[in-house]
Amino acid sequence: MNGVPRLDLTHFQAFLLFAVVISVAFGFLGRRRPKDRVKYILWSLFLFLLVGIGVGWAMFPFSR
Amino acid sequence: MTPAPLAREVASPRESRAVAFGIAGWLLPGLGHALQMMWGRALVVFLAVGLLVFAGASMKGNVFTRQGSDAFDKLGYIADLGTGSFYLFARAIETNGADVSHADGDYGTRLLATAGVLNLLAALHAYEAARGHKS
Repeated sequence: MNGVPRLDLTHFQAFLLFAVVISVAFGFLGRRRPKDRVKYILWSLFLFLLVGIGVGWAMFPFSR
Repeated sequence: MTPAPLAREVASPRESRAVAFGIAGWLLPGLGHALQMMWGRALVVFLAVGLLVFAGASMKGNVFTRQGSDAFDKLGYIADLGTGSFYLFARAIETNGADVSHADGDYGTRLLATAGVLNLLAALHAYEAARGHKS
């Protein structure tokens, strides 16, 4: 099999991909009822984004 | 009167089945849930692990081998092995080798490790569900 073309993602795109995939997987594994799953997915996605962007902002002064 | 069977004797076949589901889930992401007719979970685990492995390898992340030089390489190898058969898929599509000189290559390494750990978690969930400890 030949190598696939390189996938170029920005920092934010890679972070978003990670957050969405993990949130959906956690939602399906952790909850049984569809309504509970949707709530769990949205809540964990929100927390992923909040913490990721928050840590990014907190590190910004030390990045240069 | 016949004595009641010990709990361990009754639980043993169920425990063996649970271990088999856990191992199946590790070998092929989602299979442990599919064997228990949990189709939604099986599909999501399969797609999530597959997508993370594909993205990680396409971003030229490091797919660790057992010839790791230090403890981090060995830990990375264990995490990558967590994807089961998808580890071979990652090796197959990353024929040109890793390139972690760019940030996205480094992210790819993390996505591959995440896929492995997520699959181990899903396999553990399948095992626990088969034991009746998870719904």
